[in-house]
Amino acid sequence: MAAQLSFAWFAWKNLWRRRLRTVLTLGGIAMAIGAFVGLVGFSSSFEHEWLRMYLSSGTDIAVVQQTFLNTSMNESAGETLKALPAVRQATPMILNLMDLTPEVNALAYGWKADSYEFDSLTLKAGRRFQDGQPEVMLGDLLAASLKKSAGDTLEIQGAVFTVSGIYHGGSALEAGAVIMPLDQMQKLGSLEGKVTAFHVRLRPAPVGEAPEHYLARTEAQIEAALPGLRAIPAAERAGNNQIVQLAHAAAWGTSGIALLIGILGIANTMAMSVFERTREIGILRALGWKRWRVLVLIEMEAAVLGLVGGVLGIVAGWGSLRILSALPQTASIVSASFPLLLLAEALGIAVLAGLAAGLIPAWRGAHLSPVEALRHE
Amino acid sequence: MSEAQLQVRHLRKSYDEGRIEALRGVDLAIEAGDFVSISGASGSGKSTLLHLLGGLDTPTSGEVLFRGAQLGLTIDLDAFRSKRVGFIFQAFHLMPTLRVLENVQVPMLALSPCPANRAERAEALLREMGLQDRLRQYPNELSAGERQRVAIARALANEPEILLADEPTGNLDSVNSARIMEILTGIQKARGMTLIVVTHENEIAHSAARRIHIRDGRIEP
Repeated sequence: MAAQLSFAWFAWKNLWRRRLRTVLTLGGIAMAIGAFVGLVGFSSSFEHEWLRMYLSSGTDIAVVQQTFLNTSMNESAGETLKALPAVRQATPMILNLMDLTPEVNALAYGWKADSYEFDSLTLKAGRRFQDGQPEVMLGDLLAASLKKSAGDTLEIQGAVFTVSGIYHGGSALEAGAVIMPLDQMQKLGSLEGKVTAFHVRLRPAPVGEAPEHYLARTEAQIEAALPGLRAIPAAERAGNNQIVQLAHAAAWGTSGIALLIGILGIANTMAMSVFERTREIGILRALGWKRWRVLVLIEMEAAVLGLVGGVLGIVAGWGSLRILSALPQTASIVSASFPLLLLAEALGIAVLAGLAAGLIPAWRGAHLSPVEALRHE
Repeated sequence: MSEAQLQVRHLRKSYDEGRIEALRGVDLAIEAGDFVSISGASGSGKSTLLHLLGGLDTPTSGEVLFRGAQLGLTIDLDAFRSKRVGFIFQAFHLMPTLRVLENVQVPMLALSPCPANRAERAEALLREMGLQDRLRQYPNELSAGERQRVAIARALANEPEILLADEPTGNLDSVNSARIMEILTGIQKARGMTLIVVTHENEIAHSAARRIHIRDGRIEP
């Protein structure tokens, strides 16, 4: 059977004619989409892990000062919290990021030995630490990176700690973290009497009251009891805490620049292509092709560049996420999970970037006068 | 008196804000099935006239009528070019990225809807041109004469009523020139098409049933 010519095939052949330029353009858009997938995937994964951590521990509300990273709340506020009728448990905590070795940094939590947040962890070796003792517990992922077992010692910022136990956590933020007694962490950071946040578990909602209403009412009660502090639902806190927001902003900012460069690359390729093919576009117009058909052909070429570059970029981004999740420096804050929504977003952005980049060259090509275009040398 | 297939009235075309006048008031009527040659010196305006007749360009003043309807006014120029006329150019103007069979299908992509059997139609036209062994070749793999035969097949792709050829033998040797003209006149007779050839070669001009000579943008009596 004879080969049928289609728009898509025609567009592909035009791209294939300048293979090197096409490949270089694909490389540019693939790098942009790869950066988007890698960075936004990283920050999304970070947020996802944060949410998992809250959910697995059963935390309903996080009570914080103005900023999450600011360890400036008085530990004594815990007594006021516990006195509120809706509060079942309120546990203080400190969060920090520590360099454990020159190669390995990890999230470090300061917890009380009786914190309910231990309930979601599975002890794999050793025992839980004791308050007041220079002891730490390591997540299994971190222990593997540090090659430490229960009973070993670990030097943190000049102080020697004994690894009392190794645990498994449901979230990468826990599996790659170190947990130490709250008082030890306060001592280490000269933060005596201060905490980063209180994590709160609520009593069941009264019969007849909607959970959302109960949650909102309790938040208001907490904020009234502790002026200057904020009570935020855990699920919301996972997405809007400053670390996650910083990660999101950095990811979108960096990948936005990369995408802009990718778009300029496609625009340059399409502008060159239209210029070189001025006479061919004139032929198409002479053969009766309407302006919109010429525009569709050129836009199709740009969209193919975006789509193929997007697929390559997704593969590259996925690969970089896999690598990040395996590196000791980042394993504690990123998992290799790959949200499908991100894949769809990346492909959508890639194709839209292609279409946007091709629009001006396509418009120019479509509006060439057939006679002028045929005369073009 | 029957209505002319193509008619031009008081046609003027100028460029460069009126400084260059390519056509200075041309009146002409062409009947369906005519074989017309348009000759003249370089720059006389013969190609400009052909472009205006084929709806490739629009006049500065005057009008071009197809069966009494004005091009660009009551007849869409794109539709006219895709359905009513087939163009053949001196430089062939084939798509270098497409194979011969694909090149002939390019005009069919201008139609809505595109014919489903476009490959078969293209193959039949290429067989008619004696190019059945060249279907999968690229234009740069063909001789000049073969390229022009592909261009003729492409011009016939949408079964037009009028063939417009702008110096169709300008890039060919005498043997191929004769062959191309033989094909064109054969098509014109067999299909009853109107054939308008712009040429500066006297032999071709004189082979037409009707000869038009242009000098300085005007038709010579």
